[in-house]
Amino acid sequence: MRRQVSVGRTVAWVLLFILLIVTLFPFYWMLRTAFSDNTQLPGHPGSLLPVESTLGAFKRVLGLSTIEEAQAQGGSGAAVNFWLYLRNSLVVATITTVCQVFFSAMAAYAFARLRWPGRDKVFALFLAALMVPPIFTTLPNFVLIKNLGLLNSFAGIILPGAFMTPFAIFFLRQFFLGINRELEEAAMIDGAGHRRIFFGLIIPMSGAPIATLAILTYINSWNDYFWPLLVGQQENVRVLTVALGVFRSQTPQGGPDWAGLMAATLIAALPMIILFLAFAKRITNSIGFSGIK
Amino acid sequence: MTNISRRTLLKAGLAALAVPSVAACNNGAAARGDGEIIYWLWDSAQLPMYTECAKVFHEQNPQYSVKIEQYGWNDYWSKLVTGFISDTAPDVFTGHSSKYPLFADKGQVLPIDDYVSRDNVDLSIYQKGLADRWIGNDGKRYGLPKDWDTEVYFYNSAFTEAAGISTEQLNSMTWNPQDGGTFEQIVRRLTVDSKGRRGDQPGFDKDNVKVYGLGYGDAGGGDGQTSWSWYAASNGWKYSEGEPWGTKFFYGDPKFTETIGWWRSLITKAYMPTYAQAKSGVDVTTSFGAGKYAITPNGSWMLGTYGGLKQVKTKLARLPLGPVGKRMSMMNGLADTIWAGTTRRDASWAWVKFLGSQTAQDIVAKAGVVFPAVAASMPAAKAAFAKSGWDVTPFLEPVEAGDVFAYPANPNAADVTAVMTPAMDAVMSFEAEPASLAKANDDVNQILSANS
Amino acid sequence: MTATTNAPPTRKRSHGEQAAPPGRRRSLGDLKVAMIFLAPATLGFVVFYIWPTLRGAYLSFTEYSLLSAPKFNGLANYERMLHDSFFWNALVVTVEYVVINIGVQTVLAVGIAMVMYRLTKSITVRAVILAPYLVANVVVALVWYWMLDFQVGIVNQGLSWLGIDPVAFFGDSHWAIPTVAGINVWRHMGYTALLVFAGLQTIPAYVYEAAEVDGSTEWKTFWRITLPLLRPVLVMVLVVTMIGSFQIFDTVAVTTQGGPINATRVIYYYIYERAFTRFDFGYASAMALVLFAILAVVSLVQLRLLRAKESDLA
Repeated sequence: MRRQVSVGRTVAWVLLFILLIVTLFPFYWMLRTAFSDNTQLPGHPGSLLPVESTLGAFKRVLGLSTIEEAQAQGGSGAAVNFWLYLRNSLVVATITTVCQVFFSAMAAYAFARLRWPGRDKVFALFLAALMVPPIFTTLPNFVLIKNLGLLNSFAGIILPGAFMTPFAIFFLRQFFLGINRELEEAAMIDGAGHRRIFFGLIIPMSGAPIATLAILTYINSWNDYFWPLLVGQQENVRVLTVALGVFRSQTPQGGPDWAGLMAATLIAALPMIILFLAFAKRITNSIGFSGIK
Repeated sequence: MTNISRRTLLKAGLAALAVPSVAACNNGAAARGDGEIIYWLWDSAQLPMYTECAKVFHEQNPQYSVKIEQYGWNDYWSKLVTGFISDTAPDVFTGHSSKYPLFADKGQVLPIDDYVSRDNVDLSIYQKGLADRWIGNDGKRYGLPKDWDTEVYFYNSAFTEAAGISTEQLNSMTWNPQDGGTFEQIVRRLTVDSKGRRGDQPGFDKDNVKVYGLGYGDAGGGDGQTSWSWYAASNGWKYSEGEPWGTKFFYGDPKFTETIGWWRSLITKAYMPTYAQAKSGVDVTTSFGAGKYAITPNGSWMLGTYGGLKQVKTKLARLPLGPVGKRMSMMNGLADTIWAGTTRRDASWAWVKFLGSQTAQDIVAKAGVVFPAVAASMPAAKAAFAKSGWDVTPFLEPVEAGDVFAYPANPNAADVTAVMTPAMDAVMSFEAEPASLAKANDDVNQILSANS
Repeated sequence: MTATTNAPPTRKRSHGEQAAPPGRRRSLGDLKVAMIFLAPATLGFVVFYIWPTLRGAYLSFTEYSLLSAPKFNGLANYERMLHDSFFWNALVVTVEYVVINIGVQTVLAVGIAMVMYRLTKSITVRAVILAPYLVANVVVALVWYWMLDFQVGIVNQGLSWLGIDPVAFFGDSHWAIPTVAGINVWRHMGYTALLVFAGLQTIPAYVYEAAEVDGSTEWKTFWRITLPLLRPVLVMVLVVTMIGSFQIFDTVAVTTQGGPINATRVIYYYIYERAFTRFDFGYASAMALVLFAILAVVSLVQLRLLRAKESDLA
C-alpha cells in the first residue's frame, strides 16, 4: 500500500500515542497511589509522584500492620489478609482451568474425530448453551450448590465451570477438525485405541491451542466476580475480586482507604499482568475470528 | 512436542496439590464443643471490650465459651444472609433496628420471651424505652438492649471562637423551618469564603466557600438519623402512626417537606456543600478533620472517630429547640439477637443474658466507646468519656427528659429505603422538589400495604 | 479465535498397504467411545446448564425466600413485574448503558484498528492496548472510581487545570451511566480493536490497489470498501460484545451500587439485590427469565443480520 500523505500519518501517530497514554496511565496511577501515604492523599490530588512514599498501604492490605497503625493511616482497622485471598484465587483458577480444559478437550475430540449418530445435533445443543446468559443459570445453580451443602467451599465455586464451557469445546473442536486424518488412521492401523490416540497423538499435537485455551480460561477464572461473590463469602474461600469489593466497602461512610485499595488492586492485578508479560505474544495473537465456518 | 507432557505433568501436579487444600478448606464449621458459641459484631472499636466480656463470661460459666468474629458493616450483613441461607449463621450476633424486623419476619431470629420470664430478667434496669424497641411487629421479644445512641452537633471549637460565638449560644440554639432560627444564624456566621468573608458579611462569595458552616454525609434516606431527624421531630412530625411499628408513613406531610425544604435551602445559600461534594470520595468526618466544615451532626458512636481527628479540637453542642418547644433526638440502640437455627440455645441465651446484665455493661461502660443500655452503668461511661476529653451531657439530656423518638423500624425497611433514598437524593441534588416526597410516600405506603 | 496449526508430517504408506477404512467398525460408529469421552462434559452440561435452565423457569412461578421451600404462586411474579417501576427503570438504564457502551466501543475499536493497520503491526503495541482486558472488571472499576473522584480524583484535577468545573462522574445521576459505560469501553476497546484488526487483515490488498487506481480518496475507500468488507467481522463483534454488555454487574457493584437515584441500577444488579438481599428469589428468577427472553430476541436479530450478510468479497 502506498504511503499516505504525511499529515495523515502524523495525526495517526498522535492518536496512537494518546491511546497508549490513556491505556497505560491508570496502571501507573494505581502504582503511584499504592505507594502513597493515605492521609496525605487528599491534600495532593494532582501530584504525579507518590505522595510521601511509603509501604504502609501494602502492609495494611497484607495484614502486616496493627489496628492502630492501620487506623492512623486512614484504614478501617478491619482484618484483611490478601495473602489468603491470593491463595484462594490461585486454587480456584488453577483447578478450574485444569479440569475445564481437560474435559472440554475430551468432548471436543468426541465431536471432531469420532463418528456416531446424532453427533452434530448434540453439538448444536451444546453450542446453544452459549446463548443462555449466565444470569439465568446462576440463580438456580446457587440453589443447587446450597442444597448440596457446598456453599462457602472451593468445590462450590469451582464445580459449575469445572466440566466444560461451550466456548472451550467449540474452540478445541475447530482445531481438532484441522488435524490430518491420515496420522490417526495410521495409528489405528498400528492397533492404537482411541484413548491412546487421544493422549498420545492429539494432545501433544495440540499443544498450542490447548495452552492458549488454558491461559484464557485461567484469566477468565481469575477475574470472575459474580459467582464467587455469591458462593464464596467466607474468608477461607474468598477470592481476590470478592475481597476487593469487600475492602472497598469497609468504610461505608464515604471515602475508602484509597492507598490501601490501590495496593489491593495492584496485588489482584499483578499475577495476570505477569502472566500476560510472559505469554504476551501468544495471547495477543489468539485474538481474532477464524475457523468459524 | 515434548514440553506438552511436561505441561501435563505440571498440571497434574498442581491438581494433586490442590486436592488436599480443597478437602481441608471446606467450611469453617470445624468441630466445636457444645458449649462454644460464635458471636459476630461489626464495630472493630468494640472488639476489645467484648473480648473482655467473653473472658468474664467464661469464668462465670466454665461450660460455655464464646468465639468472637468481627466483619465490616456491609460484609457483616451479606455474610449473615448467606449464613441464614446455608445454615451456617453465627449463634449470636449484634442486631440493628433496621434489619432485625425482616429477620424476625423470616423466622431467622429466636424469640426470647420464654427465657426472659423463666430467668426473671429484670427489664427495668435499662434506659427508658430501650427494652421495648426489641419487641417485634409480632409482639415477641428478640433481644436485650446493650447500648444506646443519640445525636448532637460536633463542632470545631477553633472556628467558633474565631467567629465570636460562645458556648452558651451554641447550647441554646433555636430552630424553625421558616428562617432556621438562631441555628441558621450561627451556621451563617461560621461559613467562610475563600477571601475570609463570613456568611453574614457583605460581599460573601457563594461560589468560593472555604469553610461550610454545616456539613453532612448523605441525604438521610428514610430515617435521616444523623442528618435531619431531629428537625423534623421537633417540628411535630412523626415517621408513621405507630411508634415504632407503623403501617403508614408520613413523608408527604407538610411538616416534613418544609423541614427538608429548609435543609436544602442551606445548599442554595452556600452554608452547606452540594450533594455531589458531600457524597464524593472524602467522607464527612475526614472533611471535618481537614477543616472544611464547622459543624457536623453525628451519633454518639462516632465519638471515637472524632477523637482521632488530631488537627481539630472538637466540642459537643446540644441540638436546637424546635417549634414544639423541645430538643428532640432519635434514640436507637443495639441488642444481641440469637439465630433461630442455632444448635446451642442454652449457651446462646446465657451469653445474651450476660451481655444484657450490668456486669457486662460495666465493662462496656469503662471502655468509653458506647453508652451502655443499663442505666446504672452510665456513670462509669460518663467518667470514661470524660477521661478522653468528652463531656457527654448533651447526649444524655434528651433521654433523661424523655424527648426521644425511635428509629423507624419496619419489616419492609429495605423496600422503604429503596424508595426513600433515591427520592431524598433527588431532592438534595435539586433534581426534584420537596413536594415530590409526597409521591415517594405513596409508593412506600403501597409497598407496605402490599406486603402486609 | 485464530488457531495456530503446525502441519504434521504425513506418513507415506508403504507399498501394498491399503488405506484403512474410515473407522466405521460397527454401525453405531464410535458411540461407546464417544460416550466415555463425552461423559464429564455431558455431566457438567446437564447438571449446570440444562437443569438450572429448567429449574429457573420453575422458580420464576414461585415465591421462594431460600429459607424455606418454594411456594407456587402462578403468574404473580410476572404481574408484579409489570407494575414494578424499579424493573422498568432497570431495563431502561441497561439499554442506555448498552447503547453507549457498544456504540462508543465499536467506533473506537474500528478507529484503533485502522490506525494500527496503517502504522504498525507491532506486537508490543497490540499487547499494550490489550492490557486492560487482562485485568478484572472490579480492578478497572476501582481504579477509575479513584481517578474520577469529585474532590480528589486526578481527572477532575486535570479538568480544573484546564479551567473546566469538576464533574461528579459517579455522583451526578446524568453522568453515572455514561461513566460506567466509559470505564467498560476503556477495558474492552483494545480487545475489540484486535478483533477488527484481525478482520482487516483478511481483506486482500488488490481491493485497495484497485480503489487507488480508480482515484478514490482515503475516506471514500474506508466507507465504500473497507467498512462493507468488514461487515461480517463487525457483526460478529457486535454479537459477542452485546450479550456481554447486557450483563454489566461488576462495575456497578463496586462503585455506585445502583445509585445515584437509581441511575445505575442495571437489571443484573437489581436481580442480584432482589435475590440475595431481600430473600425474593422467585421474583428474581422471573426477572432473569424475562432478561433471557430479551437477550434471545436480540441474538436472533443479530444472527439474522449475520447470515444475511456474507462477505461482499464473494
